[in-house]
Amino acid sequence: MNDMLNVALPKGRLGDKVYALFEKAGYGCDDIADPGRKLVFESPEHGVRYFYVKPSDVAIYVERGAADIGVAGKDILLEYAPEVYELLDFGVGRCRMCVCGRPDFRDDPSRTLRVATKFTRITRDYYTGLGRSIDMIHLNGSIELAPILGLSDVIVDIVETGATLRENGLEVLAEVCGISARLIANKVSYKFKYEAVTALASRLQGNIEVTQ
Amino acid sequence: MPDSNFYDMTDGIFAKLAGIWTQRGYTRYRVSRFEEYDLYAKNRSFITGSAILTFTDTDGRLMALKPDVTLSVIRNTVPSPALRKLYYCESVYRAADPSSGFSEIRQAGLECIGPVGLFDVCEVITLAARSLAALSDRYILDLSHLGLLGGFMEDAGIDQSLRPELLRLAGEKNSHEARALLARNGVSPQIAGLFDTMIHLRAPLEEAVAKLSALPLGEHAAAALSELARVARALRGTPNLYLELSLRSDERYYQGVVMRGYIPGVPSPVLSGGRYDGLMRRLHRDAGAMGFAVYLNLLERVLPEPEALDADVLILHDGSDPEGLMRRIAALEAQGSRVRADRAVPEGFRCGKVLRYDGGEVHE
Repeated sequence: MNDMLNVALPKGRLGDKVYALFEKAGYGCDDIADPGRKLVFESPEHGVRYFYVKPSDVAIYVERGAADIGVAGKDILLEYAPEVYELLDFGVGRCRMCVCGRPDFRDDPSRTLRVATKFTRITRDYYTGLGRSIDMIHLNGSIELAPILGLSDVIVDIVETGATLRENGLEVLAEVCGISARLIANKVSYKFKYEAVTALASRLQGNIEVTQ
Repeated sequence: MPDSNFYDMTDGIFAKLAGIWTQRGYTRYRVSRFEEYDLYAKNRSFITGSAILTFTDTDGRLMALKPDVTLSVIRNTVPSPALRKLYYCESVYRAADPSSGFSEIRQAGLECIGPVGLFDVCEVITLAARSLAALSDRYILDLSHLGLLGGFMEDAGIDQSLRPELLRLAGEKNSHEARALLARNGVSPQIAGLFDTMIHLRAPLEEAVAKLSALPLGEHAAAALSELARVARALRGTPNLYLELSLRSDERYYQGVVMRGYIPGVPSPVLSGGRYDGLMRRLHRDAGAMGFAVYLNLLERVLPEPEALDADVLILHDGSDPEGLMRRIAALEAQGSRVRADRAVPEGFRCGKVLRYDGGEVHE
């Protein structure tokens, strides 16, 4: 069981997209096409075992060694700072972490800025870098409501197309960083399964370069 | 906190490690469970984990339950021109992050303090390798020299402000972002390529040193490589030693050789150490130092499972013939059986067989 590479993929659209890249790189698994109620999918001929987990949990599975490698969004990696290697940028699932607010918002540096977000570490690091004092408001969802109802001056959140922002009368005020899916590896698995991990990363890299 | 069974198991491992360390003349050092908080407040970033358990002593001093052993060893050893070779096995108390609460972490390790030379560095690495070998025959010991990447960036003229971020990216083996960062700051693709080669270089120590020697390194990196090459030559024949330049250690405390040890089944390093002359300077000690710690709490995953049975034989008796029962049990013990005598089967008790003692005889 331990000789195979355990791969944690994020559930949902992003997981489907990156699995297609694994398949294209020669690491396909027939069972995934017909999952039924199965949670774990093995391809002994390619030496890989896939399982799908909540996107925000991928980094935990990898850091704790339950998965040797995994695919996680850069937002999750920045927010939780897991002790893992980040081997590859898949370039898929692209979006941006942005500061957003009402179009008429003007920042007054003499006042503490009220910022609502799910991503408290990213937000803290961003404003610390700017030397700006903030009042952080941690929310778990519907972040866009915060400036509309006056709970915060701005929000820091992921922006994909900007449609939700526009529908709620908000706009991007500044970009914090770009986000995309990354290949991560457990640091110990990387050493004990070095050939398998680096071969897989290299084949994925080759495919990504061809695609781009 | 670990239960008493865990202590018994890690005690066995510590006894093995102590056997290895005493063979090279290291002597046991014991530190108090408490230390003045001031020591840690001044060196907060040396300690992994943010929170420290504190209390006010009867004389009003603010004390801490020790979150680290090395600082205490340095502070409490009398400065001497001679080398001090010490080992310890102590509990430390830390909260790795605010949400996890405090934990008691059992840690064993050794410290070599004083006029540390290249031989002492090699000896500490050898003892680290032997310690790992006592835990698993499939161990890996990664070595690095902090002067290599640091010297490379110095030689390449990379701006000071970029270096911490580059070292962080090196620690992640994050080529894509390192290349982008270097390109944005006008660093040539050749330099970026060399940086990439270094952070991805992974090979047995001597082979890796040879590969690095073939690269066009500048004066500072070459000096670090030269020291590493001498270490590699001295350690020739030591199995499972790898060069891994992505290892990170706080350069305010560590300089020169640093190391991490791994065994299968544990997802993080079980051994960590290096040369910490910088910490000595911060504590106003005019001497060198090198050491490592083995995190015994992480070994819980790989320790042998507890005995499946609580005893081989359970003898049920009515208490009427203690002399005869004693003789029967002695006979079973002489055959190597673990025996429990009781009046009824204890709840949840696991044993190989149950016998009944009656009229001077045992029956199935």
